[in-house]
Amino acid sequence: MTATHTAKYRPSFLAWLLSLFSGIGGLIVKVALLCVLNGVTSWAIIVMFTQDRAVWALATLTVLALIDFVYLVPNRMLPAKFIVPGSVLLIAYLIVPIFFTINTAFQKYATGHVLTKAEAVDTNIAQNVVQGERFFKMVPTRDESGELVLVLVDDTTGEAYLGRASGLQEIDPTSVGVDDFGYTVPPSGFTAIEGEELFAIDAELAAFVVPLEGGGEIRAEGVSGAYDSAPGFEYDAARDVLVATDTGDSFADNGRGAFENSQGEQLVVGWREYIGFENFTAVVTNPMVRQPFLRAFVWTVIFAASTVLISFAIGLFIAKVLDKPKLRMKRFYRSMLVVPYAVPGFLSLLVFKGLLNEDYGLINKLIPFDPPWLFDPWWARISVILVSVWLTTPYFMLVCMGALQSIPTELVEAARVDGAGRWQVFNKVTLPLLLAVVTPLLIASFAYNFNNFNNVYLLTGGGPTVDDQGVAGATDILISYTYKLAFESGKGQDYGLASAISIYIFFIVAAMSASGFTRSKALENMK
Amino acid sequence: MSDPTQRRGDHWWRHLVIWVVICFAVFPPLYVVTAAFNGDQTLSGSSLIPRSFTFENFKGLFVQKEGGAEVFFVRWFRASVIIAVLNAFFTVFIGALAAYAFSRFRFRGRRMGMLFLLLIQMFPGLLNLVAIYIIVLRTGEVVPALGLNKLTALLVVYLSGAMSVNLWLMKGFFDSIPSELDESARVDGATPAQIFWGVILPLAVPVLSVVAMFSFVGTLNEFITASVLLETVDNFTLPLGLQAFVSTNFEENWGSFAAGVLIAQIPAIIGFVFVQKYIISGLTQGSVKG
Repeated sequence: MTATHTAKYRPSFLAWLLSLFSGIGGLIVKVALLCVLNGVTSWAIIVMFTQDRAVWALATLTVLALIDFVYLVPNRMLPAKFIVPGSVLLIAYLIVPIFFTINTAFQKYATGHVLTKAEAVDTNIAQNVVQGERFFKMVPTRDESGELVLVLVDDTTGEAYLGRASGLQEIDPTSVGVDDFGYTVPPSGFTAIEGEELFAIDAELAAFVVPLEGGGEIRAEGVSGAYDSAPGFEYDAARDVLVATDTGDSFADNGRGAFENSQGEQLVVGWREYIGFENFTAVVTNPMVRQPFLRAFVWTVIFAASTVLISFAIGLFIAKVLDKPKLRMKRFYRSMLVVPYAVPGFLSLLVFKGLLNEDYGLINKLIPFDPPWLFDPWWARISVILVSVWLTTPYFMLVCMGALQSIPTELVEAARVDGAGRWQVFNKVTLPLLLAVVTPLLIASFAYNFNNFNNVYLLTGGGPTVDDQGVAGATDILISYTYKLAFESGKGQDYGLASAISIYIFFIVAAMSASGFTRSKALENMK
Repeated sequence: MSDPTQRRGDHWWRHLVIWVVICFAVFPPLYVVTAAFNGDQTLSGSSLIPRSFTFENFKGLFVQKEGGAEVFFVRWFRASVIIAVLNAFFTVFIGALAAYAFSRFRFRGRRMGMLFLLLIQMFPGLLNLVAIYIIVLRTGEVVPALGLNKLTALLVVYLSGAMSVNLWLMKGFFDSIPSELDESARVDGATPAQIFWGVILPLAVPVLSVVAMFSFVGTLNEFITASVLLETVDNFTLPLGLQAFVSTNFEENWGSFAAGVLIAQIPAIIGFVFVQKYIISGLTQGSVKG
């Protein structure tokens, strides 16, 4: 097989074009590319500095310097010259994200656990307020610049204040008067809002908040009163607990990204926290996770295995039928048969979604009964496999045609001479030889279909839903289930769990591929 | 074969079997053709034999209907083709560079590097999307062209796999090019770069074409990364656009959707025809060498 392509080789236009770059042309391209890279990156570094991202800027500068070094020093680091372009992109958009995912897998990182701990403390304090003990007579006024200012008089102590959106300011109580009807009269320089305008600013007034020092705030109630409210929690930094101001109940860090009291009640707002292997063990210990995970896992294996095996069987059959040198219209047949492979898969999937529509779809118009293709769990599973087989078969047909051609005819003829029947020859000679060549591709295809998100998601969206809890639908394979966990679950997103499951998927696929590679002996061939 | 008087193997039943399979293979694409030209533009009105003939469905792709789904078909198409061509080109270029290094140089970490690149592909890329989204978001604050909703950013993300995805296939092919060829070139004074461009690449045109075609068609097909990174419907690629188009009103837009599908297939088919002669050898070589 080694010499086949050199024997086939004829200098083509493309080959000639490529060879042009071996001389001065390639050098010019290289220098031009380096110039563009340096120009753009230098500009980006300047932008980073202006945005106060010095660390980024220095990191980028280092990388740029390394790249320039590799390319400008002649005759050294030759392999690096060829590997750098791919590596830069690989690291930035593949390896860094993988580390991010691994890191996430060990965290409680889900809806309600997206903030840092400090942010979670602040948010809990800000979101939980209790009504305070003070009540104020209030009159909304405008100062000289037209800003809304609340003039407040404490109901019990008689102290007077100006309440602005920026804060509270104490003023001389005598500067505030009371008119004959008991209404507060604002000090000079402030015009009371009255009449129609008072109704007009209703919404503005309701949203107006005067922040107090040390948490808490004052809000208007109606148009002539105001009350203060105090923060519901105080953070005790020394003990690392949030103390409820009304009951004195203390909520401590439970080590799992939430504040919890002695009764086991948790505050709603939590934070991202490292929780060790909990996301990994959840698929065994937590029944809410275990059930959908197991169902998705079993279905993934069934889906991938049946897609590959059925497609391979049909593909091999067609290849065998076509495998006659004298067959008329062979070229035409072959081009017709690869049509499903040539059409972009996403288009076929969307078309099948229409074809399989229960009420309007063409398939149900053509056949005498109306199966609910995409709406019944079992029919949906059958649909997904059927459509995947339709998409995959041409690939195996091409593979088998190639593999059949590579089987030496002498072997087959020798078996025939020895008296083997047609079936015996196929079973004992052709098939074993074929499998030796095709097994790695079968495994690779299994691994590919194991993660074939499109075939499931574009056809059924993973649905229809099944009764039990959890986000996995009837046709959800592991990867689409994980996708839903991370991006679109109605029950709250869970990046941590999704990341952990994707690491499981990695190990499953890696194990399968490893067995495929051992069979193909590609690794031993690695010179 | 059993009957030497017959044309060898040209039995009628083979043709029958093949025709049956062809019916299944071409039935959905054929249906798209009829639906695209069908006078009744709804899904319920579609049938295998169109009742009337019309170009209205195509018009629906290029002219915004009052109150209908948003259509930027020309933009989607252009975006998809441009990004697929660029991705194919750079994937081949980056992949070939790396494959050449791993095939022809002996350096420290080479074996580890290859295993690492093999392993890294098995990580489900889908879950990287959260991190990629954040990286692209932040990069966009510095270099807007590499930010969200930009095709350049999408291209760069696609290219992150350029080195690893086809490395083994290409390296396998490069390995099978006799090293005597580059040795003789080296004796004549050629630099590694000159050998790469002048000897290896011209001989590797078959595998380069196959890799280019796979990445071209793969990009045209790519849905999920694009859906995370592209935000507005006027910047969509074809898969996103057509999916958005057909899902806004599945039943009613069916005719125009079919017309869109029909046009959307053209680039892939052109790519397929272009490299057809290399496909069979390209599929098996490299991966199952020896």
